Amino acid sequence: MGSTCILRCVSLVLDGLSKRFGQVPALDGLSFEAPRGQIFGFLGANGAGKTTTMRIILGVLRADSGTIRWGGTLHDSLPRRVWGYLPEERGLYPRMTILEQLVYFAGLYGVPRDQAAREARAWLARFRVPEFADRRADELSKGNQQKVQFLAAVLHDPEVLLMDEPFTGLDPVNVALLREAFLELRDRGKTIIFSTHQMDAVEAMCESVAITDRGRVVVGGPIREVKRAAGRRMVRISIDGDHRLEWLSEVPGTRLIRPGIDRTEVELDAGVDPEAILAAAIARGAHIRHFEIADPSLEQVFIDHVGRPADEELTLATVPAEDSAA
Amino acid sequence: MSRSDPLMPNTLIVARREYLDRVRSRMFHVSTIVLATLAVLVAFIPIFAKAVDRGTTTRVAVYSSDPQLSATIVANLGTFLNQQHDPGRADPYALTAASSEDAARQSIDQGAADAALVGERAPTGRLDFRFYTGEGIAADRSQLINVGTFFIAILDYTSLNRRAPGQAFTFPTLETVAASGPSTGAAPLDSADFAGRRILGIVFVVLIFIILVIYGMWVAAGVVAEKTSRVMELIISAASARQLVIGKVLGIGAAGATQYVAVLVPSLLALGLENRIATALFGPGDAISPSLVALAPPLVLAYGAYFVLGFALYALIYAAAGSLVSRPEDLQVMALPLSLIAIGGYFQAVLALSGGTAGFIRFASYVPFWSPFVMMTRLTVGRVEPGELVLSYGLLVATIAVTVVIATRVYAAGVLLYGQRAGLREVVEAVRHPA
Repeated sequence: MGSTCILRCVSLVLDGLSKRFGQVPALDGLSFEAPRGQIFGFLGANGAGKTTTMRIILGVLRADSGTIRWGGTLHDSLPRRVWGYLPEERGLYPRMTILEQLVYFAGLYGVPRDQAAREARAWLARFRVPEFADRRADELSKGNQQKVQFLAAVLHDPEVLLMDEPFTGLDPVNVALLREAFLELRDRGKTIIFSTHQMDAVEAMCESVAITDRGRVVVGGPIREVKRAAGRRMVRISIDGDHRLEWLSEVPGTRLIRPGIDRTEVELDAGVDPEAILAAAIARGAHIRHFEIADPSLEQVFIDHVGRPADEELTLATVPAEDSAA
Repeated sequence: MSRSDPLMPNTLIVARREYLDRVRSRMFHVSTIVLATLAVLVAFIPIFAKAVDRGTTTRVAVYSSDPQLSATIVANLGTFLNQQHDPGRADPYALTAASSEDAARQSIDQGAADAALVGERAPTGRLDFRFYTGEGIAADRSQLINVGTFFIAILDYTSLNRRAPGQAFTFPTLETVAASGPSTGAAPLDSADFAGRRILGIVFVVLIFIILVIYGMWVAAGVVAEKTSRVMELIISAASARQLVIGKVLGIGAAGATQYVAVLVPSLLALGLENRIATALFGPGDAISPSLVALAPPLVLAYGAYFVLGFALYALIYAAAGSLVSRPEDLQVMALPLSLIAIGGYFQAVLALSGGTAGFIRFASYVPFWSPFVMMTRLTVGRVEPGELVLSYGLLVATIAVTVVIATRVYAAGVLLYGQRAGLREVVEAVRHPA
């Protein structure tokens, strides 16, 4: 009991959140805990309720029922500056200079103007764009505006960062910069909750996740446990000149999940020895470049839990012959 | 929102940004210059009117129960008044005898005369004049006729003294009465004052319409711009809807006040100089009675209160209206009902400028959405009882207090709606169950 309290008292705890918009349920008893000082992946299909959840945490929307606590305190009682928010819908004041708007947003969170200006310049320098300070927002590319918005979310030094699809629209270089910033903030004790569809980013950065579907958390916890709880094993195999592995149908208890030029993922039924695949490949004289026994990918866990069969949605639909001819 | 954020300092921070954003924009500079130029031109209207008026004839109906006095007035006052005029132009004054005092007054109502002058001789020999002024008579001509009555009194004294020497000269009395114009059962206004107040009334009705509708639309457009650029997502999490709405209204209101001052100062200067300019242009006899004399300090205070309160009411509703649309092109449609209400107030104010306070105009001067137009106009050209003023201000302030709550709730719900226009049901739901 005591350890539960300690955990809950240092975590962001969402308990039984429900929210309806008219007749449409957006959240249906959503609950999860995000430990303090960690990067937490908040996953779900489009319309699963991620943005609504973040807006309720921020106090922009009110839940019909349920509670939110941070460090044991109800979120209604916390000052706004506890939270930093990077919304999915991005925007800045087009005619204001970057420095002016960063100072403005920080000012709304109570940061004095001179301190905000100093910190803004320091962050712009960290992002290798110090020259942006005196440029107007409408002079920057979308990706660069996104970096500025990230700075607007962190400049007031919040305890919890809520990032809604932070990597969308960024080029790989900027994704790497942002990831590095996330890790640095995590190391400074900040709690970061971010939603994304980029599962590789979640696997690379998050200690814990919650996967939501139709307004409920269907699975959550430390990533390793979430994967193990799937109860399945995977084989990732790479064979020169053969990524479809059509011969796999001859190996009982195996299913091709995701064909790929680099890696092909195969799922195994319980009790099937992964080496049966290896033996079958060798028997066919295949040149094996990579063979790995692994937990299911987070993407596979996600697909399992949001209830969409991989073979229905991850491959192209077959077009009837007459349509094709037309 | 259950979190109770204090109004300050965020409201002021938002207001500061809104203010600077407006006053730094090129549109603000251009519109200020255009409006200031227009205002100066409006201020010079009396001079333009004077230039036109010089060619018109002021018709005065004259009556006296003493036919000889009546004939003296018609003949000699006419000569006196028309002694300085351009030979190529018609006489500026035409005096005709009327059959009775009532007939003289009716000729004003019927448009046959611009004024009526009634002269009677008191038992002491003193001449008592009553001067009825219509709406069409210019203040300077009215003043010249007043001077003319003194001239008649001297003539009359001279002729009487010849018949009965030794009688002392007594100054004539003159009572000026506005035959039409402001009247609420109390004493009518002096016509010169009335003319000045009407000019002011027109100027201030136009100004308050600009402030309420144009600056109000700035508020709505600002909200739509924040939604369009999606920066709303950032600010709505950093500040409460109440802080944002009130800050926006304050900031844009301050920008409007800045423009207002920038427009008003040159036009007041022009009004202050119009007399000198008229004298320089038309000669010393053609001075203009300054319009500013009607601008008494209590009237200025009352104007200021209606400007501020009226703007607060309209701007709050414009902010809520702006939050309900996602595209600037939808804003005009959403704001149209409020603009129509404002236009209704404007037209009633124009009606009230005639000085009448028909029942509906009196009622409209208490209605919060119209009182900034109508009561302000009544204050300018009519007479308003203190109780009426208290009722008007009280209703306006109470309506603003309710509107702050409703507008904030609509705004909080509306700013998160993208790509859809909220229906009436959603708006009512947002007000009843705030986010």
